[in-house]
Amino acid sequence: MSNQLIYLSIIAASLGTYFCRAFGVFSAKKLSVDSPIFLWIKCVSIGVISAVIARIVLFPAGLLSESTSLNRILCTLIALTIYFSFKKNVLLAVLSSAFCFGILNHFF
Amino acid sequence: MFSSQAFKDGVKHAIGVPALGLGSSMFVFGAYLHSSGFSIFHSFLSTFFTFALPGQFVMAETILAGGTFLNIFLAVLLVNGRLYPMTVNLIPVIRSENTSKLKQYLAAHFIAVTSWFNMFDVHHKLKQEDKFNYFVGLGGFLWANSVVCTVLGYAFSNLVSHEILIAMVFINPMYFLIMTVSNLKEKKMITSIILGGILSIVLHNIFSGWSVLIAGISAGSLGYFIFKKENNE
Repeated sequence: MSNQLIYLSIIAASLGTYFCRAFGVFSAKKLSVDSPIFLWIKCVSIGVISAVIARIVLFPAGLLSESTSLNRILCTLIALTIYFSFKKNVLLAVLSSAFCFGILNHFF
Repeated sequence: MFSSQAFKDGVKHAIGVPALGLGSSMFVFGAYLHSSGFSIFHSFLSTFFTFALPGQFVMAETILAGGTFLNIFLAVLLVNGRLYPMTVNLIPVIRSENTSKLKQYLAAHFIAVTSWFNMFDVHHKLKQEDKFNYFVGLGGFLWANSVVCTVLGYAFSNLVSHEILIAMVFINPMYFLIMTVSNLKEKKMITSIILGGILSIVLHNIFSGWSVLIAGISAGSLGYFIFKKENNE
């Protein structure tokens, strides 16, 4: 890989990402928080995020793909169980789940 | 802006779980770049200018696979397309009459899943004129923290075992999950969340690259239109 190629790739990735954000600002120019479109976009945003999470847990890329689906699903359930059992403690739920995930990956 | 109380409150909000969740994934990304032959300066530039992890991974993987400038631009555009509805959704919430267009375009760089969730969590408690500075504090700190964590991940990847790196990658999706379920309040949101997850799985083998966007748009639209009456109440 040449240095020049990497810099060009970073520029391409930055432009691709910033285009989504800038076009979002442009599209929101006349949008009011009370409009029906605003509520619809909020539903779409949360739907997209939910889809991203499902994809990461069930069809991950990169390092996570080295773990088993069973471990990922189990630890997702652990995160949810701890969150709802311990007064919606976000830190406890997230860290317990990651800790269990590390242990499960070590042994299985 | 930077001396305002709202900006400082935004920074305080970001310190803790939000910074830990995003920072741990950025640390792993830095370690990944190190093992893939990039330099520490490349890792710094990638998070500084992109600040959207899935797209950054796609950039690195595409370049390693011999992709062209156009390949990388389109692949990242597709993967980070989720930022578009999030930006359309967040900007009307944080801007006030005095917020210039330039400031809106600059602040948009700090929009990511973590900053979006956390801003929506608190915005109803803030005065309209404070929301923009609060978001810049919150999102700006997350961005700066991400840049630092990427560089640290690059520099110290040799000191962290492979198994710990895998566990660290898992922190961020679990954080997203918990923030998502904290939105299980209105029927339209519950429907959008559940359908988004199910459709993403069902569509994965049919529209691999597009499944997330198609699932999210379909789920959000169904959730909104099925409970449209609820919106008008």
